[in-house]
Amino acid sequence: MASREGAIERVSKHFDDGRFVEDLTRWVAIPTQSQLLDHQPELYRYLREEIGPFCESMDHSYEIFDNPDPQRGPILVAQRIEDKSRPTLLTYGHGDVVTAFPEEWSEGLDPWTVKVDGDRVYGRGTVDNKGQHLIAMTSIAKVIKERGGKLGFNSKIIIETGEEQGSIGLKEFILDHKDLLACDVFFGLDGPRRSFKRHELNLGNRGAVVFDLVVDLNREGGLHSGHWGGVMPDAGIILAQAISSITTPRGKILVQDWRPKNIKDSVRKATQDLEVEPVKNLPPLDPEWGEPGLAPQEKAVIWTSFVVLAYKTGNPDNPVNSVPSYAKARCQVRHTVDVEQDVVIPALKKHLEEKGFGGTVEVSTDVGRIGHKAARTDPDNAWVQYICKSMEKTSGAWPNVSPNTGASGPRSIFKDPLECPAIMGSHSYPGCGQHGPDEHGLLSLFREGLQAMTGVYWDLGEPGTPPAKGLK
Amino acid sequence: MATRDGALERAREHFDSGAFLEALARRIAIPTESQIPERQPELYRYLEEEMKPEFEAMDHEVRIFDNPVEGRGPVLIASRIEDSSLPTMLSYGHGDVVTSFPEEWDEGLKPYEMKIDGERVYGRGVVDNKGQHCLGMAATKAVLDERGGRLGYNSKFIIETGEEQGSHGLEPFIQSHTDLLATDIFLGIDGPRHSLKMPEVVLGSRGAAYFDLIVDLKREGGLHSGHWGGVMPDAGIILAQAISSITTPKGVILIDDWLPKSVPNSVRAAARDLVVDKMDNIPEPEDPEWGDMSLTKEEKVMTNTSVIVLAYRCGNPDNPVNSVPSYARARLQVRHVADVKREALGPALEKHFAAQGFGGIEVVETGRELFPAHREDPDNPWVRHIVKSLERTHGGRINICPGAGGSGPRGFFANHLDCVAMIIPNSYAGCGQHGPNEHGLKPLFREGIANLAGIYWDAGEPDAPGRS
Repeated sequence: MASREGAIERVSKHFDDGRFVEDLTRWVAIPTQSQLLDHQPELYRYLREEIGPFCESMDHSYEIFDNPDPQRGPILVAQRIEDKSRPTLLTYGHGDVVTAFPEEWSEGLDPWTVKVDGDRVYGRGTVDNKGQHLIAMTSIAKVIKERGGKLGFNSKIIIETGEEQGSIGLKEFILDHKDLLACDVFFGLDGPRRSFKRHELNLGNRGAVVFDLVVDLNREGGLHSGHWGGVMPDAGIILAQAISSITTPRGKILVQDWRPKNIKDSVRKATQDLEVEPVKNLPPLDPEWGEPGLAPQEKAVIWTSFVVLAYKTGNPDNPVNSVPSYAKARCQVRHTVDVEQDVVIPALKKHLEEKGFGGTVEVSTDVGRIGHKAARTDPDNAWVQYICKSMEKTSGAWPNVSPNTGASGPRSIFKDPLECPAIMGSHSYPGCGQHGPDEHGLLSLFREGLQAMTGVYWDLGEPGTPPAKGLK
Repeated sequence: MATRDGALERAREHFDSGAFLEALARRIAIPTESQIPERQPELYRYLEEEMKPEFEAMDHEVRIFDNPVEGRGPVLIASRIEDSSLPTMLSYGHGDVVTSFPEEWDEGLKPYEMKIDGERVYGRGVVDNKGQHCLGMAATKAVLDERGGRLGYNSKFIIETGEEQGSHGLEPFIQSHTDLLATDIFLGIDGPRHSLKMPEVVLGSRGAAYFDLIVDLKREGGLHSGHWGGVMPDAGIILAQAISSITTPKGVILIDDWLPKSVPNSVRAAARDLVVDKMDNIPEPEDPEWGDMSLTKEEKVMTNTSVIVLAYRCGNPDNPVNSVPSYARARLQVRHVADVKREALGPALEKHFAAQGFGGIEVVETGRELFPAHREDPDNPWVRHIVKSLERTHGGRINICPGAGGSGPRGFFANHLDCVAMIIPNSYAGCGQHGPNEHGLKPLFREGIANLAGIYWDAGEPDAPGRS
């Protein structure tokens, strides 16, 4: 008789027989480097030769769409609708990888050839992200097998191929295909987990606002520092002064409207409960830096951060004796949903005005970047709780629930138009080297991930899920 | 009978006859570009062919010394001792010029072919500095002739040929020739005046030190700004905070030990009273609120300390990436008047940072102005004597500049010869001294030769202050 344990056993055996690594080896061998524009054929090949047939093998129909931006990679959507009244889960992954730079990899390793060494599985894309969506798809396949050709819920899968380039075109695509992608839960698999002891669900991401602070005193030619120093305003001093007004000397943000107000208890609690293992080779933390009273994970997850990414005045390579007329700093604010993105720039302008920098320091958002919006699903959301319970049942531990990652990402482009909770699971670890040389996954985490995800997909087909919205 | 007016008349007549500019044209024709090593023979030629004969004609004993620093230009010393009980005046000039870049000059102008166009006299070195030390030589001759082969004081001249390179070797040279150079007065003849309307005496110049401020959090690799922003310290923020602690938002220096404890009232008054001509190509401070607003613009430059962020970098400004910077560096320049010791600037900055909680910032003194800060008191008897002389020649008040923004080697002389050091400038701010189309103005030359003749005449008068 079909059972949850049976499904998990199937997937464990599949893994132990080496078939997971076998599939992964084929997938990694396709160099889907989306940052190299001439690699577009590889992106199509990945979807046509690997993902599409895999979906068909588990009775999902699929279609490959060109990206709305002709320069960017295609998008595959697969689906299997069993009963429109049952819950629908949309699984997300991305088939593209960052550029590999093979010469930087350790001897004996090749980015496109999967190599198992102890617990490690080396190869570009093993964790970011091919190995992770392979976990999801393999788990779905095993649940269908165990239930005798039935899943018990509706499954949709979207695999894009432009994530490493900023998912250009994805937002338009989703807006154009809202019915096709309609679901009760969005579940992506990506990124590292914080702890080896617990699975992890990420419920959101911070938004990012990038801007330049510019002091341009519009003086032509150099003013000799001997004759004019101390008489004519110095753009370098003014910019340092303006930046210094944004935080305390220890980095606490002083722009009032940048600071989140009314953080929900559920968000605070989930963040405080995060179990974080020390990361090897990480420089020591400075508890005095940033918002006082917050633990390091709280600073990154529930709070706003301000970073001076770059700063230049004068000619740093060859300083000359003149009073600088121009100075520029590239800055970045990351914020949770508790701070409206549209408020960030006006609040800064108001702050600078109040501090007396109104006429001299310009805030420019014309920096050639689009900032991601903040997104967050409440940790108390019924689907989140249901999935947490499922993972606890499989692994014996309640997962780490991170209301946000500190980083920014395309979460809101799913969450907002599809009006659903958006959850990310992670089956890698911080030492995986995901964007550098020697990227690798861990066999132990892959195996755990397959078991947990098989449990989740099994439980979605059980009675007692939160209510489904119902498909049209 | 020999008179002051007679000496001034001789000096003016020398200019009006065309003899002055004729000699100058010959001297301009020697391309004494000290920044170009191959031009070294020209430096010798200038001293040997143009300077030496003229000084010898005035009964000065002339010696030309190789520079103590290999590869640098020679130094000429001319000396005429009439009586060791008389005061001695050491006049200074430099025979070298900056590189001329002839292609940048206007059509019809050539750096080494002096050309007169209306009031302007074009050529490389016309004001910086050949035209100016030649004024001193011609003025000396006028006094000598008027007094019938006597000056009434001991005259010395030093003409170096490395000023545009930073006067390398000059300080050790002075130190090893203190007897030969011994003097009561050092009179530099160089630079622009603040006003066309009145002569000027410059009593000092500021010194400067350069400091690199380094924040190095010593983190390898980038820390992603999403995961670590607000968690890990940001070198860019820390450095901006540290720099911001040095001044108010409007540039007022907050490090007390950098500021002069007390500036003599006479110095302050001189700075305040300075008459400065408006010039088309020179900006007026558009922000009246910068620096210490209890000071006038001239007081800020001449009596106070200034700090500038010459350069600042963190992250990759050309291509900013999403990581929390671990390293930031800025270069500061601190200019100070003689009331503040240069050696005290660095320790004061470190002490300030420690007190403000920025003790982790590394402060490295990366260099200093070659010439030390220096200033004479406007109330010094020799200063007053020379001011009075200039007022008498001019027929009205003159500018007393307590500290030029730029700098020069006068501090070397003041320190090692224990003398009173002053500069008499005879050019103007629009002269283009280091760029193309360098030029002097005929009326200023004519005034200058008379002003200097007056100074030299008065040095030989019985009411001149005695030997120090």
